[in-house]
Amino acid sequence: MASKPSELTPASLQEPRCEAADPAFLLSRRQFLFGVGATMTVLSMPGWLVRRGMPARVHAQVAEYPRQTIARLSALRTGDVLSFNYPWDHPQSLNFLVKLGERAGGGVGPDQDIVAFNSFCTHQGGPMAGTFRADIGVAGPCPIHWTTFDLTRHGMVVSGHATLGLPQILLEVDGDEIVAVGVMGLIFGYYDNRVDPSA
Amino acid sequence: MPLEYTPLDHVPLPPKDAQVYTTACDYCIVGCGYKVYRWPVDAPAGGPRAAENAFGVDFPSGTLRPWVSPNQHNIVRVDGREHHVVVVPDFETQVVNRSGNHSIRGGTLALKCYNPETPTRERLLYPMIRVNGELQRVDWDTALEVMAAVSKHVLANYGEAAWAMKTYSYEFFENTFAITKLAFGAIKTPAFSQHDKPAMGNDTAGLDDSGLINFSPSYDDWQMADVLFISGTDPYETKTVLFTEFMMKGPKLIMVLPRRTAGVAFAESRGGLFLQVVPGTDTLLHLAISRVILENGWEDREFIERWIATSWEINSGMGRGTRNTPWQWRTTWGQFGTDFQGYRDWLLGYEWAELDRASQVTGVPKEKIVQAAEMLTGAGGERPKASFGLEKGNYWSNNYLNTASFTAMALLCGAGNRPGQVIGRLGGHQRGWMKFAGYPRDKSPEKLPGRRKVELDLDRWVEAGKVRFAWVIGATWTAAMAASQEFERRFREMTRDNPHQITSLDKDRIIETLIRRVDSGGMVVTVSDIYPVVPMGTEFADIVLPAAAWGEHDTTRCNGERRLRLYSKFYDPPGEAKPDWWAISRFAQKMGFQGFDWETGNDVFEEAARFSRGGILDYYALVWKAKQEGKTGHEKLRELGTTGIQTPIRVENGELVGTKRLHDSTLKLGSPEGPTIHAKWLTHFRSHTGKALLIKTPWELFGDFFDYIKPRREEGEFWITNGRINEIWQSGFDDKRKPYMENRWPETFAEIHPEDAARLGIESGDYIRMYSDRVLIQTGGFNRVKPEEMRFTWLLENGYIRFGKADVQAVAIVTDAVPPGLIFTNFLEPGSPANSLVHRVPDPITNRYRFKLGTGKVERIGESPYKEDFRFMTFKPRDVG
Ligand code: SF4
Ligand code: FES
Repeated sequence: MASKPSELTPASLQEPRCEAADPAFLLSRRQFLFGVGATMTVLSMPGWLVRRGMPARVHAQVAEYPRQTIARLSALRTGDVLSFNYPWDHPQSLNFLVKLGERAGGGVGPDQDIVAFNSFCTHQGGPMAGTFRADIGVAGPCPIHWTTFDLTRHGMVVSGHATLGLPQILLEVDGDEIVAVGVMGLIFGYYDNRVDPSA
Repeated sequence: MPLEYTPLDHVPLPPKDAQVYTTACDYCIVGCGYKVYRWPVDAPAGGPRAAENAFGVDFPSGTLRPWVSPNQHNIVRVDGREHHVVVVPDFETQVVNRSGNHSIRGGTLALKCYNPETPTRERLLYPMIRVNGELQRVDWDTALEVMAAVSKHVLANYGEAAWAMKTYSYEFFENTFAITKLAFGAIKTPAFSQHDKPAMGNDTAGLDDSGLINFSPSYDDWQMADVLFISGTDPYETKTVLFTEFMMKGPKLIMVLPRRTAGVAFAESRGGLFLQVVPGTDTLLHLAISRVILENGWEDREFIERWIATSWEINSGMGRGTRNTPWQWRTTWGQFGTDFQGYRDWLLGYEWAELDRASQVTGVPKEKIVQAAEMLTGAGGERPKASFGLEKGNYWSNNYLNTASFTAMALLCGAGNRPGQVIGRLGGHQRGWMKFAGYPRDKSPEKLPGRRKVELDLDRWVEAGKVRFAWVIGATWTAAMAASQEFERRFREMTRDNPHQITSLDKDRIIETLIRRVDSGGMVVTVSDIYPVVPMGTEFADIVLPAAAWGEHDTTRCNGERRLRLYSKFYDPPGEAKPDWWAISRFAQKMGFQGFDWETGNDVFEEAARFSRGGILDYYALVWKAKQEGKTGHEKLRELGTTGIQTPIRVENGELVGTKRLHDSTLKLGSPEGPTIHAKWLTHFRSHTGKALLIKTPWELFGDFFDYIKPRREEGEFWITNGRINEIWQSGFDDKRKPYMENRWPETFAEIHPEDAARLGIESGDYIRMYSDRVLIQTGGFNRVKPEEMRFTWLLENGYIRFGKADVQAVAIVTDAVPPGLIFTNFLEPGSPANSLVHRVPDPITNRYRFKLGTGKVERIGESPYKEDFRFMTFKPRDVG
């Protein structure tokens, strides 16, 4: 299932990859998102937290998420917004995918401008769906207390109150398919993204 | 490089049996209520079902329901054992941050807790002395003995005014009471100033002279108003929950700022008004609005007749105080204070208040000035409830004239003493100043014309080489004061560049060396803090003392509506860090002073209660009640949780009652009960007659300075103004060590208009330098004799002004939120202090800096790494509406 190396993806993704659980895959995933060198740690959380009784599955941030096809690359136009549920079929797992028209952190597609984020504000859960501003690549302001998030920079707070950026849905391109493969950052209301609320 | 940060996708929930502590936020004035949940690392975390976690809530929770973000979790040490802590807003509180509201600052409080596995590992753990240029660990006794020996020498040979203190004003009652007992009670030094100003005294003298107490309103008042006039601040950025929880839920907003912000965008989207002023010109804006009101007869006549002092009430000595106080000479003798008719006549005949002229100088279109007057008064129709809040953009650009003209405008609209019709400061930090005694003004070496002693300008005193020993507690000092880099140079000369430097850890030799330093005209510096402060702690200090911080000892203070709470200890201070009150008490004992033998913070709290009596923060009744119930003061306050109680605290029917607002004409008081004191200002204004005063504010007193510093556009000069930004608290001492926050602002920024940027070849993400060789610095002149010596022109002509240099760096953000010719930057970045570009010439009436009136030139340096790296910083507009 590994995506084909191509000029569409950053260099760090072009190395051959094994199964999702392999640390090499995780390394690539993090490099892909943050575009950093190979010296970066594999862990998706600081080592001290791992040693201090946090759940042991931390290595598997990406590996334990389902893979889900979201959209077709060829059908997307700049400014398009699609909503989808991921990783679970649950109201707060509602996300939006946008083709920003400008290069973005974690962006996929030929212009690295396709990104996806969860739709609930990480301040107090305000609905962000429909607040996307195509002209400036920002989501917001949140209707409740007016937080804005930069969709080109991993959902970082531009101005506002959220103690976590807007959770970014990790995307991959597989042929013409855009596939969701994980979530960076805790979804509002959740205590663990990897636990299916309906299970 | 910035810190590494990866957002986590899970967080431990507190178990049912987690220990729960109540506290309030360590940061801004709002003082949101927080709860801390703590459990040992080897105990199981809570589960997602309501029955399995401490919140009693099913997870996933939902919008506006309890939740824990990964940045609200940390691991701390208690008795040497590791514990999880989750620090979250109190979801149950009915006051302040109702429904779990919080800002990004307080929301990430957990990350400030000391944990040697996070960047907080930089905490100061042990007392240190600088030997051969490097700080070396010593024990508390050695450090304090050296301080005491040098202090005794300085006091005996150079007098009290050579022994200085620069301290926070807000970091809890226990500490500030100890500090003032030492400085004003035992040593009696006039060389003292708080973290944010060069001299003691009130911050908003114009309000005070008018009879207004600056924190008289309650938060509800800001919501109950129909229209709010907000001057010199965007509360969304800097007192966030006051804005999001109160101001966003009712009134129309009139915002006065030099730049567009998120709060402005919100205001405009709800029928509000943005008055974009040229920095420093607020006085003329206030006068012009007032004049439109008076010309049309829109003033609140009924209120004015009942509540504004007549000329007899002012000039018979009943105006504001006894003859020789600072406010007395301002409000009597006709210079400033006047009755309504006098004010009206003056304003209608005053050319600077004319609409055309004011519009031209302030940059605010005439129609908007008129519109503001209409919105504030109802323009002859039904009168709306108007309230007026101001902050540093107002009073730190033209202190006296801005605050006095602001208050006069508000009084004409009938504000000041009714629910929803209030006048007040919105605040910066919380109210943690509890004084043992007042500032010893009679000992001040500085005076104004006449017999008017004035609080000493400590910075000018240092510059003059008059300080031989300084104890800096929780303050950056140089970066926070004006002409910072010049000030640093002077500090360096008197400390590190002095030939007498410590070269051995032998106590006697240390003392000998430092005394030689003092006798050679140098200065010895002690810094008490939680982190190494640049450059005061890292470079200039001879002695560094580690302080215990928020959450590491039980402490108390009030927020911006005088709400008193206990800030609980929930983990142990690191290393040998101690509360500042403890360091003060042990130092005082070494000095041989009596009355410093406290053993606990509660000892200090209970002693201080007596000194709070009759004041705005009076909590004596709480301690009185605690005694009756056989409890300590801290215990009694802990029972009140995050709700706390609003001071002054009174007793009614044997129960404690808080005071919602001051100057409350609707408040009914019977006879005072128990220890209750009924001050006049509970129901009236704070003047001898209980009425408010109108104060004239002639622009000429400031105009010469303003004209002199105004940027010369043809020479490429800009206004380089500064302020707070939502995501950074104060100097960023915590935020720089919270990876999440630090990635947002890894370095300081400067907003520049696209036209200016294009001309200078600057793009967002470029490094720029902002520089000047024309930073004005006032020197000497402590004894003013003739009235004209109060004027800037006189100082300039008579050699009391020198020119200094400044050169600071920032990352550019190109945005039309700022107008052409103006740059906005963060107010306090110790490594690149914007205040370097601020003229060190205080308001002559009040000794307050014009911090917002920095000027300088700008030039591109090159690209910053953030321009292309998507992990750090963002260059998107902040004023999205
Ligand atoms: S608004 Fe102020 S008090 Fe409230 S959480 Fe934020 S910083 Fe703390
Ligand atoms: S819920 Fe979005 S800003 Fe508060």
